[in-house]
Amino acid sequence: MTQQNTHHPLAESLSSLMDNEASELELQRILKASESDSEVKATWSRYQIARAALHRDLPMLEMSDFAARVSAALEQEEAHSAAPAPTTPEKKTSPQWWQNVARFAVAASVAGGVVLFAQNFGGVTQEAPTAVAATPQLEVPTTAVVPAPSLPAGYHAQPLSARAVGLQTGYESRQQDSRQVVFVPLPSSSQTAAQVSDEEVRDYLNKLIEEHADNAALNSGQGMLPFARVVLTEED
Amino acid sequence: MRKAVLIRSLSGLLLLQAAQFVFADAETRATPSQPAQATSVAQNQSLQALFAKMSRVSHNLNYQGAFTYEHQNSSTLQGFRVSHWVEDGVEYERLLYLNGPEREIVRHGQALDCFSPGDQLLQGRLSSIGSRLIGLDELYQFQIRYTERVAGRMATVLQVVPRDEFRYGYVLSVDQETGLVLKSLMIDGTGRILERYQFLELDLNPDIKQLQEAPTARLHRVANAQLGGCNRTQGGEPEGWAVKWIPSGFAFVGQQRVRDAADMLMYTDGLSTFSVFIEPASAQPPEGIGQRGATVAFMSKVKRDDQIHRLTVVGEIPAVAAERVAAGVAATAK
Repeated sequence: MTQQNTHHPLAESLSSLMDNEASELELQRILKASESDSEVKATWSRYQIARAALHRDLPMLEMSDFAARVSAALEQEEAHSAAPAPTTPEKKTSPQWWQNVARFAVAASVAGGVVLFAQNFGGVTQEAPTAVAATPQLEVPTTAVVPAPSLPAGYHAQPLSARAVGLQTGYESRQQDSRQVVFVPLPSSSQTAAQVSDEEVRDYLNKLIEEHADNAALNSGQGMLPFARVVLTEED
Repeated sequence: MRKAVLIRSLSGLLLLQAAQFVFADAETRATPSQPAQATSVAQNQSLQALFAKMSRVSHNLNYQGAFTYEHQNSSTLQGFRVSHWVEDGVEYERLLYLNGPEREIVRHGQALDCFSPGDQLLQGRLSSIGSRLIGLDELYQFQIRYTERVAGRMATVLQVVPRDEFRYGYVLSVDQETGLVLKSLMIDGTGRILERYQFLELDLNPDIKQLQEAPTARLHRVANAQLGGCNRTQGGEPEGWAVKWIPSGFAFVGQQRVRDAADMLMYTDGLSTFSVFIEPASAQPPEGIGQRGATVAFMSKVKRDDQIHRLTVVGEIPAVAAERVAAGVAATAK
């Protein structure tokens, strides 16, 4: 017990397995042991982390608690949609007010689609108001929290694929691109502005996004790719 | 030939990168900043060459490819087929939606030797502020990260991190053979991915005759290829409206009338773009912020004399930037 460096009887087999050199027999033994022996599981996990770090794949490991984070995001989202968007008029001129866009998205969403919890995706652990504060981090990459390389997790860029496939829930959901635009009215404007329907705002913004795409496709060095942001429909 | 040049510039970059790591390391111990600066100058030149190459290749190359597009607000993965070919010195492009109703965006008529202001910025030939040339490296921090395989091809991954909060970052996977961007991620200030393009397949020898003859989808849009003019070397000022604040490095690159009533002002820093739309409104327009994927739309209003105008800043920029741009718009004498 006190001898920390006593080898687990399966340590060598585990190490062989990491190197793809485990025999069939060793594999069977490990699989069997892993059912009951938590130490085997933990050792295996440590080996994987070590290897991932060596290969600079570390952010991939976030996938392991992915399910937990998704549920957390969902819970959060429900709370937000249940509660009316708090009004903080004194903040309306501050650049932060829009940061709440994502959090109020469900409550304030325009018609014509379902806003998934995806807007929190990848940033689940980030509270919205910290967004601006977090920006300077980018200028000093070495202070980033991601262990291995030097930048925020997004720059390693895996999670999106997991969302697109993994979060597609239900057999009924139809795969269609949506013209939906998440829209949050300015707190001060709601009383004075003429009643404009969400559909109207959505259609107007789609029009502008389409016109802006001409600019983006000419001036961002990526050819026609920016037109992919345009959702063409019969109405156009 | 072209290939050799690119590979040389890329390998040069990698070496510089390695050198910079060493210097960065030394800096933490003894803080000699001189060598790091010298490195960055040389590195900038190579990067400028890489961007110049990227911006030219999207015009010169004949190709057809399939790519996917997805963004943060949607659970949908949209597929596209893009074709680009040059005929008699004129570019032709088609973008076909592969899912849902058959739709297409076509663009043609741009002369091959016509470089848009954005291309000019990427090529380091357009001065955005007076005569001073703001280099992309003053706006973004560039780093070659690693090599990866995309669409069955080897690509160099270039990480582009903004130096201020008024633009987004990118991770670009650049095809080692051609310089074409095979994968592009746009990333916000918290490290969240806003959208992603990714090629699945790329054909560098498409059958041009077949591309020419393929019928256009019934539902299609003809994109405007003539915005902002060709080969300009100076930014200008919009007519009728003054935009008092734009993020540094962005240049005003064109103005046009859309839908007969709206003024559209266009801006780019070479990688990111935004447009300002201003049109007369009959009533108090709705104000607020809209977002889809990487695109943000800040809706506001502005007056010319007593006439209220609807003002919207649309672009792939953070909302804080769009809001500040909108706040600085005012009417000027026409």
